[in-house]
Amino acid sequence: MGSLGDVMEWARKQVASRVPKADLDQRDPDYIRDQLPVTWLLASLYFRADVTHLDRIPAEGPVLLVGNHSGGNVPPDTFVFTLAFCSYFGVERPFYQLAHNLVVSAPPLGWLRKFGTVAANPENARLALESGAALLVYPGGDYEVFRPSWEGHKVDFGGRMGYVRLAREAGVPIVPVASVGGQETALFLNRGQWLAKLLFADKLLRLKSIPISLALPWGLNISDLAGHIPLPAKIAIEVQEPVDVDGDDQAVHDKVVASLQAGVDRLAARRRFPVIG
Amino acid sequence: MRVERHCVINADRDTVWKIVGDPDAYPSFMTSLERWESADDKPPGVGSRYTVHWKIGSVPVGGLIEVVEFDDLRDLAWVGITGVTLRGRIRLRDAGEGRTKVTFRLSYQAPGGIWGYIADRVAVRQVGRTTASTLKRLKALVESND
Repeated sequence: MGSLGDVMEWARKQVASRVPKADLDQRDPDYIRDQLPVTWLLASLYFRADVTHLDRIPAEGPVLLVGNHSGGNVPPDTFVFTLAFCSYFGVERPFYQLAHNLVVSAPPLGWLRKFGTVAANPENARLALESGAALLVYPGGDYEVFRPSWEGHKVDFGGRMGYVRLAREAGVPIVPVASVGGQETALFLNRGQWLAKLLFADKLLRLKSIPISLALPWGLNISDLAGHIPLPAKIAIEVQEPVDVDGDDQAVHDKVVASLQAGVDRLAARRRFPVIG
Repeated sequence: MRVERHCVINADRDTVWKIVGDPDAYPSFMTSLERWESADDKPPGVGSRYTVHWKIGSVPVGGLIEVVEFDDLRDLAWVGITGVTLRGRIRLRDAGEGRTKVTFRLSYQAPGGIWGYIADRVAVRQVGRTTASTLKRLKALVESND
């Protein structure tokens, strides 16, 4: 058992060493500006996205944007919101997004760092907020993003509320960002937490799930590590009123989740059909 | 891309200019406008700046603009400083007794090479509808005040 433990520790260190250190200077406004048209085409024509109430985000200064997350490893809500934020406030306003270690360390996704994507950990988050930037986080992360499609309109952070402490310590407001549609881009069947434990992926890769879904072009898709082609589900995003961080963590967390869930319910009520919207 | 629409309003130029010459009044007639805010404390005129966004496609498109021409009773033009490359102009000319011809032009160019060109082409119909509808609302607003 000792040798198995050593192997796992070695593998964990190998993965950790490949996670790039957060370098906020890697964000490149000119690169983002050049990419806006292609993301606009994708968002407007393929996902028929609709983003509302961006005016609720404070016009300047650091802010923590907290969203519910959907769409597996190809979450359209992130790029649609990034497009909207950059179009509304300009690419000049510093804006970062936290993403899973595997996302930021995958060589083919290196370009995400130019968009301001950094590895999700408290140190990087603090660094971004202290620099005066807006920061987008999805506390539900890989737990929420792989919830079954029939729970598509349920906000579920899996009990994670570290973001509240982060906002409190940085002295920034929390702005909830509700979205629907992402969980209709594939048929997500099971989070596969049991599979992650069975394969030690939870310890080696910080992967709490090895999800099982039906997705293009694979058919049966285990893990979604190679991504998938998302169905053209209509994405709707609503920015909500800022939440003050003035109670204990649980109280603020409850307020944020209640606000998000109300927003998701509102957006979901406007949908007549899955995918079509 | 350049989009141009015009209309004839049954009012003299003075009356039309009272609205066109006051950019703070633009939210009352511009279509698809998500945001039109003064970005400085300057009175309307050359050099005054505004933060402007139109909802085009899925998201608000626009940025900081600056008024570059403010010719009383004739022309008001602006250029975009941030966001997509943008020029806009509202032009007033006499169209007979007590009537004014209003021309609204928008020229824009998205960055990003070929993708920017495709995005421009895709957006042009909606921008055309937005400019036409803006003039229609301006006409209704002016004629109802007259």
